[in-house]
Amino acid sequence: MSKSTLSRSKPYAQLAAYLLFCAVILAVPSFVTDAFLLNKFARYLALGLAAAALALSWGYAGILNLGQGVSFGIGAYAIAMHLKLKTSPVHTGSAGLPDFMVWNNLDHLPWFWQPFHSSLFAVAAGILAPVVVALLLGSFMFRARIAGVYVAIITLAMLAVVNLLFIDQQAYTGGFNGITDLAWLEAGSVTFDPYSPAFYYLSAGALSLCLLLGLAFTRSKAGLILQAIRNDADRVRFFGYDVAAYQSLAFAVSAGMAGLAGMLYAMVLEFASPTFMGVPLSLSMVIWAAVGGRGSLLGAAIGAILVNFMQGSLSESFLDTWQLILGGMFILVVVFLPNGLSSLIGILADRLTRPARQTPDTALAALSEAPRAGRTPS
Amino acid sequence: MAYLELHGLEVSFDGFKAVNGLDLAVERGELRCLLGANGAGKSTTLDLICGRTQPTGGRILLDGQDITSAPEYRRARHGVGRKFQVPSVFRELTVRENLEVAHSRHPGPARTIRLFPGIRLDRRIAEVLEIVELADELDTRAAFLSHGQTQWLEIAMLLVQDSALILMDEPTAGMTIQETGKTSRIFQRLRGRHTLIVVEHDMGFVREIAETITVLHQGKRLSEGSIRQVEEDPKVREAYLGSGGISHA
Repeated sequence: MSKSTLSRSKPYAQLAAYLLFCAVILAVPSFVTDAFLLNKFARYLALGLAAAALALSWGYAGILNLGQGVSFGIGAYAIAMHLKLKTSPVHTGSAGLPDFMVWNNLDHLPWFWQPFHSSLFAVAAGILAPVVVALLLGSFMFRARIAGVYVAIITLAMLAVVNLLFIDQQAYTGGFNGITDLAWLEAGSVTFDPYSPAFYYLSAGALSLCLLLGLAFTRSKAGLILQAIRNDADRVRFFGYDVAAYQSLAFAVSAGMAGLAGMLYAMVLEFASPTFMGVPLSLSMVIWAAVGGRGSLLGAAIGAILVNFMQGSLSESFLDTWQLILGGMFILVVVFLPNGLSSLIGILADRLTRPARQTPDTALAALSEAPRAGRTPS
Repeated sequence: MAYLELHGLEVSFDGFKAVNGLDLAVERGELRCLLGANGAGKSTTLDLICGRTQPTGGRILLDGQDITSAPEYRRARHGVGRKFQVPSVFRELTVRENLEVAHSRHPGPARTIRLFPGIRLDRRIAEVLEIVELADELDTRAAFLSHGQTQWLEIAMLLVQDSALILMDEPTAGMTIQETGKTSRIFQRLRGRHTLIVVEHDMGFVREIAETITVLHQGKRLSEGSIRQVEEDPKVREAYLGSGGISHA
């Protein structure tokens, strides 16, 4: 909540924070040369993008999407299909059938795989296919005025359905194993080896671009109307706004960003798997966004990066107990910072700029603490 | 043909007919007061006109167009604005943001995604702020406003929305005498430029602003006319016998 006062009254501070973050992530390869680390960071950035996408629909529009994995997974499979086709001639001869299709006795490439020979088509599909799915699902849900927890249930069910579908259609999707053994993406003369600075820049560039476009979106009047809808959807209708259209828009923009995140994720891991559409990953994204602050795209992205970073380092040093430590951290954040880590900035800024405007509770607490702590009440 | 016409309007909630064959015609620029006891169907009538409730029978014509089954946002675009009985503003947003949302001349997402509300106020918003005296609270979140200020904010939002037809449900509820006086001055300003339908219990206020009064009783129109005509109407006297006439409704 303190975020909303901060973001509206200090627009330039907010823009500066976003630009600073972009500058920092883009500067990483100047200091980190270890290929393994760069790959790991690129993976965190991809997950950060997925969390930022979730913050857009959840934090701004109040649409809690528990099935973010649908968009994320479709994006991942779209790029994986392209990259698989690039390796196929190497593996199975010039007929160019992906290995798992051969194992499933397919004798020719299915029609919907054909256009994925083009990298441009694959990238476009990775973003637009989730957008189309989201628009269809969104217009069905939001025209029917489904809201709140029911949206969460439907998106979760959608996730389960899509996940099952991809596992079941083994001949076309690689089933449980997913699509493995991927080539590297090429654009012009650049090859995006996932362990190279080039790939890291691709991830960091995509995240930066999405964050800045997302910031523009949330600060536009449409973004304001989305916040009003989150507050009181009925009231917004009486001002002449088509609430369902706005909700579908936010849902679709979020899906496109998640699709892009999925593409990066598949490229960084060099495979696409049905676990990308699994319930655990989608729920994790919700946690990342909650930890970082769902009211801010940047906060959610940082939350995802931070949690994954901690997960990585904790699991190396505390083999048995790292999940306990991480769980404890989630609880601390949710209890003491219900709006996530990003609300810390707002709270600090409030403290520094106008100490006079304390709520009676904190003022009293400060008074009673003051003698013991030996400082004057501010 | 009148600007707003209700023909045999009817709505039933689980068999209870809250509005039961209501006919009403309001001319453009008119200020109409709806009176009646609790449960007479006043607020429900406003709900039916603005689309919050779907009628189970009858027709609503606005400026010659049938809007009986149009969704709320289309009616709003046709020029229907609504103030609710319980002040209904966006509590998480600031006063400035509330007014910006209410300023809805271009409601489509294709347009609003390219609009960036700046620090500079729209002229219309600045004008309205002046009237309702909220200029000092621009960056206050609506949740922190007092009850009276919240009422004013919602009225300000309606003024910014600039609807041709404004439906007001008890605009002076919870207001002090001074505030009520100010509201009635605003209504005098709106008269003629906007068509207003006002549900109000405060008879002093009604006396100040009303031209024509429609009295509802059990979801039907009981009487209509100037305040004197209505007060002397034997049907009204009969319906309100025991409660001391309409002045005590």
